[in-house]
Amino acid sequence: MTKELLKVTDLSIANVGPATPRPILKNLSLSVAESETLAILGRSGAGKSVLGRALMGWVDAPLGVTSGRITLEGQDVLGANPDALRRIRGTGIGYVGADPTRVFDPTLPVGRQIADKYRAVRPEVSAKEAMERVHELFSLVRIPEARHRMAELPSKYSGGMIQRAAIVDAMIGETKLVIADNVTQPLDVTVAAQIIRLFQDLRERLGTAFLFITSSVPTIKDFADRIVVMDQGEIVEEGPTPQLLAAPRTEASEKLIAQSPRIWGTTAPESLSAEDIRDMPPALSITALRRTYKVPRKDKLFGSVFVQAVRGADFDVYPGESLAIVGESGCGKSTLMRLLTWLEEPDDGSVQFHGKNVGSFTARERFDLRAQLQLVLQDPYGSIPAHWTIGRTISESLRLHSPLKGKARRARVEETMAEVGLDPALYDKLPSGLSAGQRQRINVARAIVLEPTVLLLDETFSALDPMEQTPLIELFRKLQRERSITCIFISHDLALVRRVASRVAVMYLGRIVEIGSNHNVFSRPLHPYTRALLSAAPTIEDSPYDPNECLVDGEPPSPIRLPKGCAFADRCPVAQEACMSSDPELMRASERSRVACHFPLAALEPASVKDAAHVG
Amino acid sequence: MIATLSFLTRRLSQGALIVFLAALIVFTLLRIGPGDPARMLAGGLSDQASVDALSKQMGLDDPFIVQFGKYIGGIVTHGDFGHSYIRSENGQSVGGGHGDSAGASNRASVISLILGRLPLSLALAAAGLGLALVISAPIGIWAGLRAGKWPDSVTIMGSSILVSMPSFWIAGLLVLLVSIKLQWLPAVGYSGPKYLILPAIVLAIEMAPIFIRTWSSAISSMTRRDFIRVAPVRGLGSKAVFTRHVLRGAAVPFINTLGVMLTSLIGSLLVIEYVFDFPGLGKLTVEAVMQRDFPLVQAIAIVISTFFVLVNIAVDYVSGLFDPRLDY
Repeated sequence: MTKELLKVTDLSIANVGPATPRPILKNLSLSVAESETLAILGRSGAGKSVLGRALMGWVDAPLGVTSGRITLEGQDVLGANPDALRRIRGTGIGYVGADPTRVFDPTLPVGRQIADKYRAVRPEVSAKEAMERVHELFSLVRIPEARHRMAELPSKYSGGMIQRAAIVDAMIGETKLVIADNVTQPLDVTVAAQIIRLFQDLRERLGTAFLFITSSVPTIKDFADRIVVMDQGEIVEEGPTPQLLAAPRTEASEKLIAQSPRIWGTTAPESLSAEDIRDMPPALSITALRRTYKVPRKDKLFGSVFVQAVRGADFDVYPGESLAIVGESGCGKSTLMRLLTWLEEPDDGSVQFHGKNVGSFTARERFDLRAQLQLVLQDPYGSIPAHWTIGRTISESLRLHSPLKGKARRARVEETMAEVGLDPALYDKLPSGLSAGQRQRINVARAIVLEPTVLLLDETFSALDPMEQTPLIELFRKLQRERSITCIFISHDLALVRRVASRVAVMYLGRIVEIGSNHNVFSRPLHPYTRALLSAAPTIEDSPYDPNECLVDGEPPSPIRLPKGCAFADRCPVAQEACMSSDPELMRASERSRVACHFPLAALEPASVKDAAHVG
Repeated sequence: MIATLSFLTRRLSQGALIVFLAALIVFTLLRIGPGDPARMLAGGLSDQASVDALSKQMGLDDPFIVQFGKYIGGIVTHGDFGHSYIRSENGQSVGGGHGDSAGASNRASVISLILGRLPLSLALAAAGLGLALVISAPIGIWAGLRAGKWPDSVTIMGSSILVSMPSFWIAGLLVLLVSIKLQWLPAVGYSGPKYLILPAIVLAIEMAPIFIRTWSSAISSMTRRDFIRVAPVRGLGSKAVFTRHVLRGAAVPFINTLGVMLTSLIGSLLVIEYVFDFPGLGKLTVEAVMQRDFPLVQAIAIVISTFFVLVNIAVDYVSGLFDPRLDY
């Protein structure tokens, strides 16, 4: 009974630039019915985005359509004249891309730009009506203070808000189909989960059809009616969501499902458990660490505002363990990392390294500290000098910190390269042409060549796809076993943290809100924010936490204007009056857990509630 | 509103300070330099006593700081920039050798000298600038929309050739061709708007290539921006995209270049007016410097630095209107 909305027949697109055209899409046929949600699933490079753009009639040189037809309600898209194409784009198909920050003119208010677009595709609408319609949709996608927001520049929007505005932009012309290409990829987990929920809501209310392009199975598993799996420019499999996920018939689908992140179905890594570390002195100990940035005010002649990036973090890291610091963008993870490495000095509080206060170090001691505490960065491209040989990059720190010279130094570097799985023959090569995974191995080799006792990994695995992640994680486990290095992972990826960390610290707005063993944090979260993060985590399994119950609305308050009570209170589903007025301290909740919450989710051990002692 | 007010207060007070410092520097330099104005005014044949008397009368014996204080005081309280050492009200040079005290009464006030010349210079500057803008905008935008293709390369080449030819040489060439050979237009002096044409053309030839380059690079970089490329996919027409987004975005670099060109225009006027014997402010400046007419040189320096400051404030303000993210 459902009517066919979009039909693609035998579509082929090729790179027609070179003498022999290189095919990108090969003879695709698919259709989308009215109000249907179709997911296009495939790993990166499968041609999904090219397909998504082609459906909008957007095929730029050097790509060209070599065969096939696309029709929307019987109207030809690829052969449409400019005017007809404009109508199709405005009122037939809307497009939301992965990077909504680039959709809008940065110099004009967002509301006006969307109204302009609405009037361009519906010329009969007056300027005032257009603004009203934008306001209506802004409210529909739950942008708070819609009217105020409409008058603001795109740069004032957070990632989640601008994505909502982009969705409004795509839907405002009463479009029948919305193509969403990787829309949740740049977003934090709780925000991404909100956006998916928003799509579900819009589908129910407006009956719009969605075509969801993604490489992440968890994102669409509860949302899509049907899945089309693409691999190397071809459709390899197609079917209703539950059947396809339960019984994939092709290797490509199987792989996609197998590589999807799991949290509860896996176990915590066997590293030093919390019991073993009790008696050891901590390798790194952080007490009441604070960092506030002063930013000049723009709306006044004089005066500044204070951004509280880290507001009193404390925790200990024990030798040989791996602690993960988890949190969403803007929570102060990166500032904390700069403080730990003493790249920046805290305003208050102390960092103790093997029992000695880094703040009272002499310049020489601080220099030696650098050899002991190494950093592995996130960006495998930007963090390696392109014009240095790989050997030189890795040996640079040896040159500074070690007496090794000449052949001995080279031997040490080659040994380290072999240890991290790099061919020592690459010593004299430049890094160009290496994959992200290989580059990350260079970064690791550079960090461990000095045999540090503590390694800080700032989103080290985030830039890698699952295929590259696994061997690198294995490498770290091995290194940790053999050298008993202490690792601090900073990450937003919960599934990854589940695999690598022995203890987990959850950060919210510059503070640690919960810290505990991997097992406790993932299976018995105490802080409502931790539970919200877990309920939003994109995993292939069914989460034990129902997003409808646990997921938080809105976004964190600005670190400039912090509420008086608990910083999480206005988003917290279980907040009570006390939370609005008093700010909870990080307190011991059980033998191995500490939590900053007046009403922790699991039962407290009454005796230890008030014990704010400095435990791990 | 508050932001605008705060911007203007802040920038104007900074500007006043800059003008004050400029005045101080010029005042100091002129007094450190060689030449005694009293001796020059009294004339080479006057005896030392009358030179000294004149010097005392003009206040040249006062301590430096007092002289500067009086000078600034006169400007601030009643806009008095002093009187020319050399020129009389009717524009003739006075003093210089007769020993008769032509007297301050007969000497022209600096402000009237400047105001007398300013309109002509403004007319010339406006004509030259207007011509340059009218020529450069269509060519620059046309080339910018075709970046990397032949129109772009041709305009870049043409602009480079024009920009590397010195203006006084172009002036000589035009005078030779248009005035002497063809006898179409007058070449030197001023007695009617016709006399503006040749110098204005030379000014325009000097400035237009820079405007063309600015337009073409600004437009072509705008067309490469993501939001411009996505705009047609959102359903916007190409005309609307061009006027509302491309031109708007290109306006900021254009306004900045315009600001730079307005200030460098002053230098060009000095050369062009001198070459064409055009009786504007530029020629007056050159003459005042050569004649060591200190009050006149000081006043012109103050006028020019005020102009610099105002142009900069205007440029920043207008850029902010086009791109509210800019925050000065």
